[in-house]
Amino acid sequence: MATKFDAIVVGAGPAGATAAYKLAEAGIKTLLVERGRGRGSKQVFGGRIYVTPVREVFPDVEKTAPIHRWVKREKISILHNSRILSLEYESPEKHSFTTYLTEFTSWIVDKAINAGAVYVDEVRVDSIVEEDGRITGIEAGGERIEASIVIDAEGVNRLLLEKLGLAERLSPEEVALGAKEVIKVGADKINERFGLEEDSGLAWLLVGEPTDYLPGGAFIYTNRDSVSIGVVVYLATAVKKAREEIYRLVEKLRLHPQLRQYWEDGDIIEYSAHLTIESGRRFMPRKLATSGLIVVGDAAGLLLNTGYTFRGVDYAVYSGYLAAEAAKKAFNLGDFSEETLRENYEKKLLGSFIAKDLRNHTGVEQIMHEVEFFEKYPVVAIDTARKLFELGYETPRIQEALRSSLKTHHINLLSFLYKMFKMVRKL
Amino acid sequence: MKRPRIVVGIKWVPNTQAVRFDPKTGTLIREGVPSIVNPHDLDAIELALKTREKYGGEIIVVTMAPPGAEEGLRHVIGMGVDRAILVSDRVFAGSDTLATSYTLAKTIERIGRVDLVFFGQETIDSSTAHIPAQVASWLDLPYIYYVESIEKLELKENKVVVKRKLEDRYEWYEVELPVVIGVAMHSNPPRPISLTNKLRAVTEKPIEVWTNKQLGLDPRCIGLRGSPTIVSKVTWQPEIPRKRKIYQGNPKEAVKWLIKHLEEEKVLP
Repeated sequence: MATKFDAIVVGAGPAGATAAYKLAEAGIKTLLVERGRGRGSKQVFGGRIYVTPVREVFPDVEKTAPIHRWVKREKISILHNSRILSLEYESPEKHSFTTYLTEFTSWIVDKAINAGAVYVDEVRVDSIVEEDGRITGIEAGGERIEASIVIDAEGVNRLLLEKLGLAERLSPEEVALGAKEVIKVGADKINERFGLEEDSGLAWLLVGEPTDYLPGGAFIYTNRDSVSIGVVVYLATAVKKAREEIYRLVEKLRLHPQLRQYWEDGDIIEYSAHLTIESGRRFMPRKLATSGLIVVGDAAGLLLNTGYTFRGVDYAVYSGYLAAEAAKKAFNLGDFSEETLRENYEKKLLGSFIAKDLRNHTGVEQIMHEVEFFEKYPVVAIDTARKLFELGYETPRIQEALRSSLKTHHINLLSFLYKMFKMVRKL
Repeated sequence: MKRPRIVVGIKWVPNTQAVRFDPKTGTLIREGVPSIVNPHDLDAIELALKTREKYGGEIIVVTMAPPGAEEGLRHVIGMGVDRAILVSDRVFAGSDTLATSYTLAKTIERIGRVDLVFFGQETIDSSTAHIPAQVASWLDLPYIYYVESIEKLELKENKVVVKRKLEDRYEWYEVELPVVIGVAMHSNPPRPISLTNKLRAVTEKPIEVWTNKQLGLDPRCIGLRGSPTIVSKVTWQPEIPRKRKIYQGNPKEAVKWLIKHLEEEKVLP
């Protein structure tokens, strides 16, 4: 009975599937286990993937990955009081794409299977087995499978790492909750309504009304023939301040009088909700490898929220790749010790663009907890714009419009300027 | 001691919960719909496994399908069956229940000595429940359906006692072997598949593929040519489009608004 593998990867998300693929490709006997049914049934993302790191791992990504649309338009909007204030950016370059995560992960899982990895789904791994200070395999349903190395790609809810004492229990301050709907509209209608070309897409971030003025953000992504819409709210504040269930927020977003024209008469084809990491740096385990174990993807805290965009899938893919490289080295050396794995994986990861990004953007979490940024400032921005654009008799100067809006909402100009300055610096 | 040989016929079906109807052509839209093992067939496999646990023997699963059905056969190998045969050939395409049952009957004959032939009660994609009865006819065997359990199996005396579940009663039948049995739906919920069994299914057991080269069936009796069924017309229940009206305001007004609209739509008299 095949109960011994060289490597076991727990979790077939983008990180785990990539690791399994790269290992199998190197001729390492690899088992990839997934808890969900089929491919990617438990995975949720916002809607887009940045391509550059993925291309380094999969040079064929542009040709063979299930890419829906290249994001060529970025939009950030504040919504309040039936008014929308937006910033738009357009570029002809292909830097990120929209897709369904299920399709994208499935693309990698197929690569892994074709490379010789053994893939089994609907398996709940109960624990990662540790013997004499060394990881020796996994246990599922009372059965044990051994391997020289285990790659933990279990995702944000790190039950296995918790059991090993490598991660703390989740606390609400560390995570945000996202809920999302996919609405099938039809490609032609999407192109027409959003003013898009055949293969180009839109990534749209919204604050104010759509998040019920809670810290977080709402998003809209255009897929091939559908639109993904969703809301992310920070659990710590949402628990205290939310007036409605998060799924109601998504519903309100869908029914929003100024937005619903985009997906009118579409069919909701998917509904999902998932936890997401708020601060990758704080979420990162104390160590990313121990003897016989490497941690990748969300489980390693590799998610970035810059306030205006999210990155996670490309980090996941890249970390899976680094893990496989480190594991390959370990097999060559015949050395799976903590020291070697940390040297070859953790050090590489911490020296990579991912860790740099996470260190660089720690300011965002502070801003995300400043309620004013979501409760009052969107209102002030809209008020100011209203005064500038909706002219009656008088024509205020920008400064006057801003001052009077601040005054209406009892905000001190100096503290406002200071906070804006701080925000610009932190973001 | 003689051990029973059990054949279980299964079907690889589109997950009908995900299938939609094309109102223009009157056909099912199967594109992009994942296929599954007909859920009612899993009850038959489970009953076969229970029977083997008690009496020993061998379980051989048979399906007639395109090559994609291998995934379904892997699934049931994971449940613990001994052999899996995929009857797959372009010449079988377009079979109705008559041609299918003929092909399956000939496959079963070719397997050799068989004591019990199990089927699920019906399939979720067509629900004709023709196949087990027709296979029994081709093989000239008795057929008992809505069977819940095997009460007693005596290979030496060549007989079996089965319990049959009806709406208001149970019935026990003693029949001579071999026999074709339709297993009642939901009567034997399938067991969860352990990790090592899943691995066994993926890595070890080969799937046997039988084409018409092995079976050598008369082309007039199989596939489209062997299928006398004509689907003359399919109609569907058109979906009533939602009105998508939302009332925003206080509950008292909302009730009046709702009643008014329901009356206008003649939902209320």
